[in-house]
Amino acid sequence: MIAPPRFAELVAATNYSFLRGASHPAQMVARAHHMGMAGIGIADRNTVAGVVRAHMAWREVGGPGGAFRLAVGARLVFADGTPDVVAYPATRHGWGRLTRLLTLGNRRAKKGECTLHLPDLLDHADDLLLIATGHDQSALARLAKARPGAVWLAATMQRHGADARRLVQAQRLAAACGVPLLATCDALYDHPDARPLHDVLTCIREGVTLAEAGRRLLANAERHLKPPAEMARLFRACPQAVAATTEFLSRIDFTLDDLRYEYPREPVPEGWQPQDWLEHLVRQGGLALFPDGLPERYRAVLDEEFRLIRYKNYASYFLTVHDIVRHARSLEPPILCQGRGSAANSLVCYFLGITPIDPVREKLLFSRFLSEERNEPPDIDVDFEHERREEIMQYIYTRYGRERAGIAATVIHYRPRSAIREVGKALGLTDDVTARLASTIWGNWGDDVPETRVVQAGLDIANPIVARLKTLVDQVLTFPRHLSQHVGGFVLTETRLDELVPIHNAAMPDRTFIEWDKDDIDALDLMKVDVLALGMLTAIRKTFDLLRQHEVADLTLASVPREDKDTYTMLKRGDSIGTFQVESRAQIAMLPRMKPAELYDLVIQVAIVRPGPIQGGMVHPYLRRRNREEAVVFPSPAPPHDPDELHEVLGKTLGVPLFQEQAMKLAIVAANFTPAQADGLRRAMATFRHHGTVHNYEDLLVDGMVTRGYDRDFAERCYQQIKGFGEYGFPESHAQAFAWLAYVSSWLKCHHPAAFTCALLNSQPMGFYAPAQLVRDAQDHGVDVRAVDINASHWDSTLEGAGKDALALRLGLSRIDGFRKGWADTLTQARRDGLFASIEDIARRAALPAAALRKLADADAFGSLDYTRRDALWDVRRTPPAQLPLFAFADAPELGREADARLPAMPLPEEVVADYQTTRLSLKGHPMQFLRDTLTGEGVIACAAANAATDGRKVRVAGVVLTRQRPGKGNAVFITIEDETGIVNALLWSRDLDKQRRAVMAARLMLIEGSIQKSSEGVVHLMADRVIDRTAMLDRVADQQHLLRQTSRGDEIHHPQRSRAHGHPRDVRILPRSRDFH
Amino acid sequence: MTVIDAGSVPRRYLALWFPLLSAERLHIHEGAGGGATGQADAPLVLVTRIKGALRLRAVDAHARALGMAPGQTLADARALHPGLVVADMDENADRHWLQQLAERCIGWSPRVTIVPPDGVTLDIAGSEHLFGGEAGLAAQADEAFAAIGMSVRMATASTAQGAQALARHAPLPVVDERQALRTLPVLALELDEDATLALRRAGLKTIGDVASRPAASIAARFGANAVTALRRLLGDEHAPIDPLAQPEPLHFEQRFAEPVALQASIAACFLDLLRKAAHMLEQRGLGGRRFVLTLFRSDGAHHRLAIETGLPTRDPASVLRLFDERIDTLADPLDPGFGYDRITLFLPVTEPLGHGQPTLDGDERDAGVLADLVDRLSTRLGTDSLCRLAPRDSHIPEQAQLPLPAIHAREPARWPTPPAGEPPLRPLFLLDPPQPVEVIAEVPDGPPHRFRWRRKLHEVRLYEGPERIASEWWRRKGGELPGNGGLTRDYYRVEDVRGRRYWIFRHGLYEEKSDPGWYLHGLFA
Repeated sequence: MIAPPRFAELVAATNYSFLRGASHPAQMVARAHHMGMAGIGIADRNTVAGVVRAHMAWREVGGPGGAFRLAVGARLVFADGTPDVVAYPATRHGWGRLTRLLTLGNRRAKKGECTLHLPDLLDHADDLLLIATGHDQSALARLAKARPGAVWLAATMQRHGADARRLVQAQRLAAACGVPLLATCDALYDHPDARPLHDVLTCIREGVTLAEAGRRLLANAERHLKPPAEMARLFRACPQAVAATTEFLSRIDFTLDDLRYEYPREPVPEGWQPQDWLEHLVRQGGLALFPDGLPERYRAVLDEEFRLIRYKNYASYFLTVHDIVRHARSLEPPILCQGRGSAANSLVCYFLGITPIDPVREKLLFSRFLSEERNEPPDIDVDFEHERREEIMQYIYTRYGRERAGIAATVIHYRPRSAIREVGKALGLTDDVTARLASTIWGNWGDDVPETRVVQAGLDIANPIVARLKTLVDQVLTFPRHLSQHVGGFVLTETRLDELVPIHNAAMPDRTFIEWDKDDIDALDLMKVDVLALGMLTAIRKTFDLLRQHEVADLTLASVPREDKDTYTMLKRGDSIGTFQVESRAQIAMLPRMKPAELYDLVIQVAIVRPGPIQGGMVHPYLRRRNREEAVVFPSPAPPHDPDELHEVLGKTLGVPLFQEQAMKLAIVAANFTPAQADGLRRAMATFRHHGTVHNYEDLLVDGMVTRGYDRDFAERCYQQIKGFGEYGFPESHAQAFAWLAYVSSWLKCHHPAAFTCALLNSQPMGFYAPAQLVRDAQDHGVDVRAVDINASHWDSTLEGAGKDALALRLGLSRIDGFRKGWADTLTQARRDGLFASIEDIARRAALPAAALRKLADADAFGSLDYTRRDALWDVRRTPPAQLPLFAFADAPELGREADARLPAMPLPEEVVADYQTTRLSLKGHPMQFLRDTLTGEGVIACAAANAATDGRKVRVAGVVLTRQRPGKGNAVFITIEDETGIVNALLWSRDLDKQRRAVMAARLMLIEGSIQKSSEGVVHLMADRVIDRTAMLDRVADQQHLLRQTSRGDEIHHPQRSRAHGHPRDVRILPRSRDFH
Repeated sequence: MTVIDAGSVPRRYLALWFPLLSAERLHIHEGAGGGATGQADAPLVLVTRIKGALRLRAVDAHARALGMAPGQTLADARALHPGLVVADMDENADRHWLQQLAERCIGWSPRVTIVPPDGVTLDIAGSEHLFGGEAGLAAQADEAFAAIGMSVRMATASTAQGAQALARHAPLPVVDERQALRTLPVLALELDEDATLALRRAGLKTIGDVASRPAASIAARFGANAVTALRRLLGDEHAPIDPLAQPEPLHFEQRFAEPVALQASIAACFLDLLRKAAHMLEQRGLGGRRFVLTLFRSDGAHHRLAIETGLPTRDPASVLRLFDERIDTLADPLDPGFGYDRITLFLPVTEPLGHGQPTLDGDERDAGVLADLVDRLSTRLGTDSLCRLAPRDSHIPEQAQLPLPAIHAREPARWPTPPAGEPPLRPLFLLDPPQPVEVIAEVPDGPPHRFRWRRKLHEVRLYEGPERIASEWWRRKGGELPGNGGLTRDYYRVEDVRGRRYWIFRHGLYEEKSDPGWYLHGLFA
């Protein structure tokens, strides 16, 4: 028997050659290994974005200890007509040359492109092994001269008809330049079955349909990986080309494991070692908090943390984070910030001031932050005020330099919407059909387009085109689409970052990012510091400022009084509009059931209303146990295992796993996962949405638990929960930090509602509620809210009066739709010389353009001049600017007398409507109050009455629609309506939707018939039977057409894509907004 | 320009408004939303992409009843009724349709104006009595438009603007015109949105409210335009209407007092008509693509002769020559009998044609010569008999070219140029269908060693290949599924011992089919 020929495919692209490669890096590696190749070389077009994934897959099949080799490099595509060259670094030095070469090409092109010329390669060719493609003799000769002995010429047999002749030509050319031939498939996918997918990707790239694409598609499916025997057969005329592949591999002495990471030295002063300096700083911080010396418990915890940090060599990481936080606080005014994440819940971070949470007092086990055996990198995210985060980012660039600091990438994958749209277009479907399909994807939770969605869209799944679309979309869904910058994860290095990984220009000016995402960074043990933006921090800082300014209180994040009874009492009522994390409708419904009484209850509260616990069916058991309706029992394994083994894992949450860490520990303790398996599970959870690899652990987890004697049902639920975490992982370490902000915001709302509402209004857009609801809530809490006025308002909303209880909230000019900040500044500047006495006075002193005066008049901002809205707008509109320039006011303060226009007085309903039209809220009334008599006549009761009604009572309620949501599985629609007395939360089952779809979807004023459902905690829901569209009544209020079109941002039916909209880094939301459920 | 009404004859205008013009046009033209789509009761909406979102631009009555309105996003509309029918807004077609609707009105009044995008106004002063007064006229119009499926709202008034405003905004029927005008909403002034809103906020909600304020106050706030609009609406000022201009059809006629039968006289008459046509065409910057000549015999019989040209033309000589060709090919020669008393020329198809200017080196003339030849051969042989090959972008050899009637394929197609020094990859001529051959070849992808074609054995001496061409999976049902994409072909160029070259393929790889057949697809020259 003849030994199989040795061969390695060295020109293999992956789907990181965007829209060219049609297989994942892992698929290419696994397939090559399976075929018995000696190794594989992964090279994508001008990028190394996919190589870490290939590296991970390579570890799976043996890694450095195995016989199968992996070469990582890039396919260099030139802008000057030189044929592509595939470059592999032979050494660590070569890797640095390659990444610098790519950085050079990236930085001179716009985002997403890379412009390279042959001389660039010649300048950076040290320690690179080069495979030239094409038959360009002069380029080949230049390469061979620049890198003697390190250049090969690629030879392919792609069944183009003249393969044999081309091979002879290549042999001649190679001989002429003195380089060896190297056999390759120039592979674009792992298996010939990927041809349809590849053709579709080609169409997307070229912007054509399959029917039009013609020869832009490849003629056949030959660009797949081929087994060594087949390659030997194809190249039987030139066996040395096959042999060259293994010779090539043997020249490579580099893997990604050789990348050594070093922290920047900057934060460590001259003469100090990082560990010593860290310990010094921490001790200083500890001394400030415990002037009388550290209690024994703290000292023990600290020593253990120091030991671990030294063992793992993480001191520089903590110092780097500390440096950033210190800088933020040193600014004038300081930027509010707070750390979170596993490592943030350490005493070290508490003493360094990175977090205000004392882990000893809150009983956070330090082992949670780092573990010796698990290869989990420390994780600290720092949230900054969202309006000022950019200052911190630029500080980091300045301090470390662009060649040493870069933001991590985020790999943007195909989402159902984009996949349906683009694949549909390639198949020749019209925009309309693809839009119809895409519009039925409500939540985008899964990785698969469910058939029900297709049927919902009125399309027949049996229709071959629809079936084809579904097949191809399912394949494309997991594909990367392009690279974008991460929301704020920085990678900082001591040596040049661009010798570690290529750097790109971001779409935003002054931003650069690296080409690896957080999974890649994790995999290579690089460290990243997350610099994130949080709107609530802005609002809290503004509240603190207001309180200080009005001499009410001087507070910091750490000094807000803890465990305040009144605050918890307020939260127990579900009175949480405007607060952080616990303000959504689902949270409001949950609060009376949870009855939070201490900070840890809030930690659970923010974590429990999430897909993980919901899908795992953990919510109700937890609530029942908490309310003593069910005994707290811990599932236990069969003997001989410790029956109490889950006590430690689940003790704090009454035996119900709620946090991601618990799910992980469960896997280790109860299902006996090895550290490597646990690490794999953690990664799978982190990247579930992209690769759907969690299911690989289903059997392992469930069987592991069942084998050890656990109930199968419990094990299944644990798996379901882990799957849920994969969609929105929520670890306790983050819940801790969020709970603190939830508490601080609730405390401010409880004790300083005027200042808190004012700050919220000035931090918009943020949170769940529109200004109208925030203002109304403040009024309900006794805050005196005053209207926008030219003699009192600034751009921002402000507080008037002095003393805690005398503060009134003055709405700012920013509330007026379309009013500009520049106008407001001019106005307030002019007002310093005294209040305005008349419209002419304003026009003369503030020299505002006519448009600004009109907006002020329309918004009824001339109240202090005793002008009604109507009179003001009539006077302001006189003399349009084209006829009489503004300075004419100065010359002719008294415009010619004019006959009285005898305008009728504006009735109150019209005033309210105009208020809504200009400022989106009204202090004068609610539109529903004008319809009250009519509605009462029809037997309709007010929202307040409905909320007070007894359980089971049939009622009719009407109100303006605030939100409509159809969360999760979509079997119910949640509707919130509002009238002058309050809001009612209604629920309509989806089965009842179709017959009244029009009313549900279109109504702005809705009449709902149904029965009241009241829980023992007093949570009220209206179970809707019938929904009637009474929008026409609104027009009666003021004979106006466009009343109240706006709904709050929670209205998913009119903003169906909202849940995806937080992708932009500038308006980042740390966690996706919780979805409603019941 | 303002024309002050002399007051002699009171002017009367009938305004027609087609509120659902776009949707109803589509119903009429394409049966959309009706039987054709099998969704007779489905609402119809027309959409445009505005800033990335598909938005409704027009709706039909059904969609309107469901609460859909222009401006809404398609996604919202679909939430109301998932099964609605969607079409693209086509403003050109709508404009054209409005023009046609206006032309239908010419029967009721010669003075018809289009009020874009969806209105028509008729000046009916003095003509309404022909149709039983204003009411009778309106009834007739209503019936006529209902018959073709167009909804229409109508109103009469003494100004064109007033009539349109009433048709659009007033509750119908209008009893007291003056009163009705004064109670119209201020929207009827058609000011910009901002000004309209401001008037309403000021409490001036009707035309009457505005009219009862001093004009100077209104002008100072809302501009002189607002006052002009108001005056025109109320009939205090007249704006002339711009009646529809009707282009004369390209129809030319020659009548003879004495029937002519002489060939020469008839030919002279042809030429004369063609010259007249050429003159008119030149004035309009057009050229004819289709010419129809009708000869009316004195006994009532008539002959119709039609010719087409590949390029627009107005050269009488070349058109005449084409007619000559046409006459030559007639199965029955023209029989003038006792002579023709009338000859007409009609040009139903024209295209823009610039003013030709022959260049000094005569290039244009050369191109013209070939076009002339194509015209003449096509006229003589029939348009489908003269074809020109056009390349199609496809890997599949037999689909890579397409014969098109030469008269329609005006420009010679651009063919890809093969790389220099390469032998031809494809034969010039393909066998259709490919002919089966018996082949001895090496598995899996060796070339034929010998093959039998038409019972004759050919020994292969030289070969090149395979050139592998996979099938177009997207043309097959389920072709995207593994193993379902169709058979791949391996093509070989072979030369037999006698030096003859063939193009042979195996239909299917051995992985795809256990016993793939072999075919001869062409012969190299």
